[in-house]
Amino acid sequence: MEPQDIYYDKNEYVETASGNKVSRQTVLCGSQNIVLHGKVIVQSDAIIRGDLANVRTGRYCIISKNVVIRPPFKKFSKGVAFFPLQMGDHVFVGERAVVNAAVVGSYVYIGKNAVIGRRCILKDCCYIEDGAVVPPETVVPSFTRFSGSPATCTEDLPECTQDLMMDFTKNYYQHFLPAKM
Amino acid sequence: MAYLFQPDYVRYVCSCGSLKPISKMYFCRHCLKIRCGYCVCHEADSHYCPNCMENLPSAEVRLKKNKCSNCFDCPCCFQTLCTRAGQAPLRPPASSADAKQDVKATPKKVYYLSCSLCRWTSRDAGIPDQYVATGGWPEQENPNSTRISTLIDFHKVLASKEKQEQQRKKFPTKRTFLQYEKFGLTSAMVRKRAGKPLEPKSLIQHSDQPAPAVANEEVDDLPAGIFTEAVDITKITTLEQRLQHPDVQAEKINELRPQHKQFLVKRSQRCRGCEHNVSKPEYSPQSIKFKIQLAAFYHVPEIRIVTCEPLRVGVASELLLKICNPTQHQTQISLLPLDTPTTPTTVTASGEEQELKRENIQMGSESPNLLPLAVRQISVTEDPKPITVVSGAEIALPECPLFLPPRDDAAEYDETNDASHFQDDKKVVVWRKGNKIVVRLHVTPFANEQNKGEPVIVGFVLRHGYVNTLATLEHKAPQKSELNVQLFLTLGNLVGTA
Repeated sequence: MEPQDIYYDKNEYVETASGNKVSRQTVLCGSQNIVLHGKVIVQSDAIIRGDLANVRTGRYCIISKNVVIRPPFKKFSKGVAFFPLQMGDHVFVGERAVVNAAVVGSYVYIGKNAVIGRRCILKDCCYIEDGAVVPPETVVPSFTRFSGSPATCTEDLPECTQDLMMDFTKNYYQHFLPAKM
Repeated sequence: MAYLFQPDYVRYVCSCGSLKPISKMYFCRHCLKIRCGYCVCHEADSHYCPNCMENLPSAEVRLKKNKCSNCFDCPCCFQTLCTRAGQAPLRPPASSADAKQDVKATPKKVYYLSCSLCRWTSRDAGIPDQYVATGGWPEQENPNSTRISTLIDFHKVLASKEKQEQQRKKFPTKRTFLQYEKFGLTSAMVRKRAGKPLEPKSLIQHSDQPAPAVANEEVDDLPAGIFTEAVDITKITTLEQRLQHPDVQAEKINELRPQHKQFLVKRSQRCRGCEHNVSKPEYSPQSIKFKIQLAAFYHVPEIRIVTCEPLRVGVASELLLKICNPTQHQTQISLLPLDTPTTPTTVTASGEEQELKRENIQMGSESPNLLPLAVRQISVTEDPKPITVVSGAEIALPECPLFLPPRDDAAEYDETNDASHFQDDKKVVVWRKGNKIVVRLHVTPFANEQNKGEPVIVGFVLRHGYVNTLATLEHKAPQKSELNVQLFLTLGNLVGTA
């Protein structure tokens, strides 16, 4: 099925020169530590905790409503330290998901209400189903689909996942349009 | 992408007769046929640990029983364990002289395994802490390991004997006849002629055969308190926990030991018809690239449903389909009724249309499988399964062919609309951009008592031009052919009757 057009209020969103579309109703803590690499959509009520550590996303990332993106911490004998959170290109994060991963690769789909535990590593081309809870420090290999709580590998993804995901995020960006007055 | 999280609305018919979305299919460009996961040979290419991403050659993997030597799974919840560092508990000083030294010495770091999900630690199981971060964990011994190894050894001997015998059969010597002429039939030869094994050999076999397992009726008595003592479920392992480690099957929680992590495999797929690879991933487990990638998604035009008007029996509803050409060549597409034969055709040099057969497909190379005959799997080909999908609607198909320009990755940045190059019938082609078009069709569902309440399915044949570029490797002109593929679209439920 072809995606439907999504209309947004032109006054609500800020569009940057590189094509990022960021809602004004978001909590971007430590915005100097947040790098959005272009054509990224951050929807309303999303929280990005740049104050804890650097957050970098690639191109064509979609961060849906009420998403929390929070760099992970590691406990040491002398207190805790936060680590930067890296996100690749063409990543979709569904509504109300909590991402606490260390690395999110490219072409990754994170479903609605999913919880990605502390210091997880999501490799390129993986799929976290809606509502999955990925335990802390899990490595999700490429071409796998994780689901359930605790999330386990349930299926393999098709070989053309990379192009499917590219197609999906580009289409989403193209169909994310300002509402006509 | 929609293929990953939506039901399969558009299904293509594989040459084996199964219906699959285009994302799960392959296109063998040597047989020019669509293949799916059911009709290709799957081969394990490389083994890797899903946690540390280490990949090992298959001989070593067999030695390690398909398990990673460094990574462990929690025996309680089967998640990955992490190594944690802690301080060694301070030992009470033996004498005052020692105490002074202990103060100066830095406390030694110790490591233990802990599960971040269920909080199980190796300390719970009473496993002593380690002084090195990786390795050194005590291996759990299988109680039956000696018995298993004797059985394995015995079967290895049997296998080698059988192999020797087979090789002997392969090269029949003339000597036996000469012997027969000279000395007459010996008893051994009579046996051989009758097809029985040689007598002394079977005796040898008996001697190194391991003792057979003995059935025993005597079972240990149940403990006295089994019916009277309250059961503490929290201390007893669950069925899953026992089955996760079948050789020990610990009964109590504190007997659980960390388990080595299972390896995953990278697979390559091989067409059963011509034994060419249709998909071969790169060796490295980190890589998502492919050496050979013949997924149908890159070779067969993709069809998507854009919109479909509510369906009513006997009323024509508008159906918009998006067709996308993924290839590097311009292609011509026509939509034909479902009963069109699906044999591929090609246009010969003289301009005639002829059926494409195996002989006249231009092949790249003849022996694609590099494995020796003895090792490689013999492919089993089955007759295609019959298709059981019932079409629930009449579809009006456009008669004119549709032209799709080649895929151009730069076209995305091109703002100019070049739709004017193609003389399209505006009634059919609604929209055109780059290698994609949207066509308007009309479907009329008919009353069907059998499939009441089921979604309406409509089918047709997609004929598309395909340029076989294999031939260009051999400095011949690329062969153009017409391929047909059956498609079934699930449009949705009937809204009501008109």
